[in-house]
Amino acid sequence: MSCTESTVPVKCLKCQAELASPIVCTGCRTLYPPPQSADYFDLLGLQRNYVIDESQLTAAVRAISRKIHPDRFADQPPEMRKLATRLSAEVNQAMTVLKDPAQRAAYMLELAGGPSAAEVRDVPGDLLAEVMVLREQIDEAQSSQDAEPVEQMRSSIQARRTQALKQIASRADQLAAHSDEEKKEFRRLLNSLKYFDNLLEQLAADPLAQASGADNG
Amino acid sequence: MAEADDILIGIDLGTTNSLVAFGDDTGPHLIAGAIGDDDVILPSVVAFHEDGGVTVGHEARSHAVERPMTTIHSIKRLMGKGIADLKDDAVRLPYRLSQRRGDTEQRDVAAVLVNDKLYTPPEISAMILRELKVRAERHFGRSVSRAVITVPAHFDDAQRQATRDAGQIAGLDVVRIVNEPTAAALAYGLDRTEHAAIAVYDLGGGTFDISILRLEEGVFEVLATNGDTHLGGDDFDNTLIDLFSREIREQFGIEIATPTIKQQLRTLSENIKMRLSDRDTAPVEIAIGPDKVYRRTITREEFEKMIEPLVGRTILACSRAMKAAGLTPQQINEVVLVGGSTRVPYVRQRVAEVFRCRPYTALDPEQVVAIGAAVQASILGGANRDVLLLDVTPLSLGIETLGGAMGKLMSANVRIPCQATETFTTFQDGQTAVKINVLQGERELARDCRSLGIFELQNIPPMPAGIPKIDVTFLIDQNGILNVSAREQRSGKTASVQIIPSHGLTREEVRHMQEEAIKYAREDMTAHHLIDVCAAVEFDLNKAEQMIERYGHLIDDAKRRSLTAAIADLRAFAKQTDDPVALNKRREVFNRSTTSLAERAMTATLQVDDTDEPESAAKLSSPRGASSPSTT
Repeated sequence: MSCTESTVPVKCLKCQAELASPIVCTGCRTLYPPPQSADYFDLLGLQRNYVIDESQLTAAVRAISRKIHPDRFADQPPEMRKLATRLSAEVNQAMTVLKDPAQRAAYMLELAGGPSAAEVRDVPGDLLAEVMVLREQIDEAQSSQDAEPVEQMRSSIQARRTQALKQIASRADQLAAHSDEEKKEFRRLLNSLKYFDNLLEQLAADPLAQASGADNG
Repeated sequence: MAEADDILIGIDLGTTNSLVAFGDDTGPHLIAGAIGDDDVILPSVVAFHEDGGVTVGHEARSHAVERPMTTIHSIKRLMGKGIADLKDDAVRLPYRLSQRRGDTEQRDVAAVLVNDKLYTPPEISAMILRELKVRAERHFGRSVSRAVITVPAHFDDAQRQATRDAGQIAGLDVVRIVNEPTAAALAYGLDRTEHAAIAVYDLGGGTFDISILRLEEGVFEVLATNGDTHLGGDDFDNTLIDLFSREIREQFGIEIATPTIKQQLRTLSENIKMRLSDRDTAPVEIAIGPDKVYRRTITREEFEKMIEPLVGRTILACSRAMKAAGLTPQQINEVVLVGGSTRVPYVRQRVAEVFRCRPYTALDPEQVVAIGAAVQASILGGANRDVLLLDVTPLSLGIETLGGAMGKLMSANVRIPCQATETFTTFQDGQTAVKINVLQGERELARDCRSLGIFELQNIPPMPAGIPKIDVTFLIDQNGILNVSAREQRSGKTASVQIIPSHGLTREEVRHMQEEAIKYAREDMTAHHLIDVCAAVEFDLNKAEQMIERYGHLIDDAKRRSLTAAIADLRAFAKQTDDPVALNKRREVFNRSTTSLAERAMTATLQVDDTDEPESAAKLSSPRGASSPSTT
């Protein structure tokens, strides 16, 4: 799990303080270009675990941003400002990815060398048939002009999505030890989330504006 | 104390009015014009005179009715736009819109035609900025060359670039572009709050923004923003203009087409709108010709019905912003109103309804953005280390893919700075350049999004098709402005990126305009500035003479004699100098020398009380210079 630690600097080269994040010394404001080996978890000084405390994540980003935001380097030479901008962009990107459970899981799969969405495009076996049925039910619910069945559909699809996410969560931390086939299956689970998202989007849309409801799946 | 170059001013460059401010140890302060301390608002109006001179502000605005074709207002609506974007504006604006000369199908930059000369919106905006720069220079008595400028949060890249270009043309290094609602939040000093969620509703003359922020220990995190850069108080006026035009046509068979009457109608409509903010009805009377008078009364109810669709659009945007921020109205602790158009009672009522709480209006909605810009300036200057702004990009960024779709690289409402990297290749053997159409917007088809420009990757080493791999990094910086860099994977060489902006100016064009403007500024603005400083000097000298006459007995003879000599000296210097900055320095020195007399005079006045003295007391405390004995 923590095989990357050795290549990430531990102490500030300037003031010898311990580095919570490899890109900035919170003591003396020295910026470091991100080490090749540092992943998003390292960048924010977080453990590489699927379960993340969101308030801890935002607090970590806030603390780092206070030190590395380009506004803090307005009086510094242009190279310094550029580095601050680049580091901020990386930290913000790390936050966006790690905050969202689906993106976080996909990122962990990538770290484990698993297949990308372009490499494995299919979904778990029975999902397509299930989605077809759900789609028909949505059409029916929306044509009823009643809010109640639409709301019911929403909560049942949401529940299916949560269920898929639970399966993802239970496997995410062991990805490194998984076989290639298991990684493929993990990717299929991730792909299935897209289908639920599309269904939820279809539900949220105004049925009157949905003249041609042909979503691609 | 600080070097001359260290002065950093904050500017609110508004559709209707502009302001300039700065921050110091005691907080943010607005900088006034030549007339007096209250003269902080500069109407964003530029008038071109027959003798070739240009004026900006109140004086310029006074020409609007009599010379509508050469009096340019609302230029902010044209920033970063092409003529194709402005069909509706062209009908309503009394001055003439055109296109920059030499534009191609790919490039469409709007321009204003005045006295047979074309001016792009950044050039006109630069004239307003230069006036504000002069104000600041007069205040500090030295040159000012760095500024923070605010823009609507929903401004796209082209509009932000145009604002930065305007700054450069005016001789200002725009060190930071800040979103107006975010600046307003800073101005409220809400950073003192431990943690809270706030909404800033900003309805100006021509633009609308809604931003949802979270405050946490001095850090302002924008969670989501929404808005419309083409919706504001101007549009409220337009509903009235359209109503009157229609009724005049129906009653008298007359079409209102002349620029003068158009402008009269605009001024009248503005006044009616303001009147309806504190009264229930407003009478309308327009003389159309001999014996032809259009008369009617308009009620607040009628007006509210007319603007309902416009206000409704802003309310819908509020709901979208809350949804994007993941908050319900109950979770929002505070709603802040910004912009002159929030004075309309119907707007306040609807905002209160959607957020289910009464909006906060402690600060003047027309000044709060400039004050926030000054706070941001002091943050950048290092004077304010506890506060930090973390903003978002208002629009998704993407590229046109094969088949004309919008391939999204970054979503709206992600925190900036942010970046994305995409790999491109060639389609033909030996191809050395690749063109990328960069887009901003939320629609699925490229043609429904806004093209920021064509980015051409050049100097790709000739290779068989599909072999070169060029990593292109799109980085949106803290100003919300896109920066693009490219690198060929194999060689590791940086590829050059040539940018042809769709609705903006190239670096070379801006540089050229800046040179032109400097030439013009030396001749014209120095003269103009000198007149202002001379007027201020004369005012201060008269004030000092009055003081000596009335209260001269309170100081000893030697002091009185030296003061009288100083007055004669300064008056003589003002007559012969052509350097406004030097003159202003002398003026400040002089004012310091009169401080002790002013203080004694003040004490004397307070002791006399009750007689005719309060008037002179007010006079003494009003202009700058003397220490301020205003409250006792």
